[in-house]
Amino acid sequence: MVEIATYLVFAMLSVALILALVRLIKGPMLPNRVVALELIASLVVGFIAAYSIHTGVDDFIDVAIVMALLAFMAAVGFARYLEKGGPRDD
Amino acid sequence: MIPFAWNVVLAMVWVVLTANLSATNALFGFVLGYAAIALMQRQFPALHGYAQRVPRFIGFLFFYAWEMIKANARVAHDVVTPEWQMRPGVIAIPLEAKTDGEITVLANLISLTPGTLSLDVSTDRQVLYIHAMYLDDEVELLESIKDLERRVLEVMR
Amino acid sequence: MTEWLLEGLTALMLLLGGGLMLIAAIGAVRLPDLPTRLHATTKAGALGAALTIAAVALHFACISVTARAAAVIVFIVLTAPVAAHLIGRAGYFVGVPLWEGTVKDELRDRYDPESHVLRSGLTKQAAESGGKQRGRDA
Repeated sequence: MVEIATYLVFAMLSVALILALVRLIKGPMLPNRVVALELIASLVVGFIAAYSIHTGVDDFIDVAIVMALLAFMAAVGFARYLEKGGPRDD
Repeated sequence: MIPFAWNVVLAMVWVVLTANLSATNALFGFVLGYAAIALMQRQFPALHGYAQRVPRFIGFLFFYAWEMIKANARVAHDVVTPEWQMRPGVIAIPLEAKTDGEITVLANLISLTPGTLSLDVSTDRQVLYIHAMYLDDEVELLESIKDLERRVLEVMR
Repeated sequence: MTEWLLEGLTALMLLLGGGLMLIAAIGAVRLPDLPTRLHATTKAGALGAALTIAAVALHFACISVTARAAAVIVFIVLTAPVAAHLIGRAGYFVGVPLWEGTVKDELRDRYDPESHVLRSGLTKQAAESGGKQRGRDA
């Protein structure tokens, strides 16, 4: 049962990644792209979790920790950059 | 915070004394420590009110989880159905919370539920500006947020 | 019996988490402006990720995995609102346009971009007594 669920989750997350990529390309401004990047990070964390169940290797959780940490740092950095007046129309 | 630290210490002591490191045993130790603190709290000013705060905190967790589920279902329903039912807008919420910690916790809890997003606090810290997705009934939204705030303050004060 | 139940719960949490993240992605594409997109992506996305991680903890069911999974979940739940708030605030003050269906905006005309003072819009007296109590300025 879990096996089928992981395959389904892989499929769902792949579609979600493509949709997030659409938003990343369309923009229209830097903040919207940051939103897409944040979403992609969440999706990758979910992917890692599903993959860890699929392969039965629990060490992938550490990768998820690092991924979540990096995504948060990136969001904070982008927000600072925007407020300090970097170019927004890219 | 100090009574909670004591409670954790008591749980750890229980785990060490029984030499059984399992989640159930640690939880049992925590419950025992809670009972001990509840009995002692009259004698120690630092422990005052802890026994009442823990059940309130647990009740708050359930309340908040239920709010999360409702809000998620609402936003998810709006996203997957073709027409927009949302009426987004930015409104001001008068703040009851005073200290930095209280405002931070409240703003983050508001941000965590889908449908409401805290934007900024006014410079004189009287008002919290939030972006809400459903402004059909502004009074109701305001009341639900005041309710959340009341519960947060009950736990924190 | 218990094993079967545990497996079912794991599968359910995985599917729920995946579904939430898929909805978040659909929302990111469909929703019309920055704050509404944030409502869908950062929160539903983070919650979905937290659910799938919880499914991992349930699947392996040993202390080291559960502890690490709990750490990830706590971290995600703590940082998701902060990230949403930061991006939303930065985007709003930078001047990202709101959707034309937005019914109300009480913030815009109370913010002074020169001095970064944000008025509360309450009566002057209340604001003054509040300012005196804490004596803090931008």
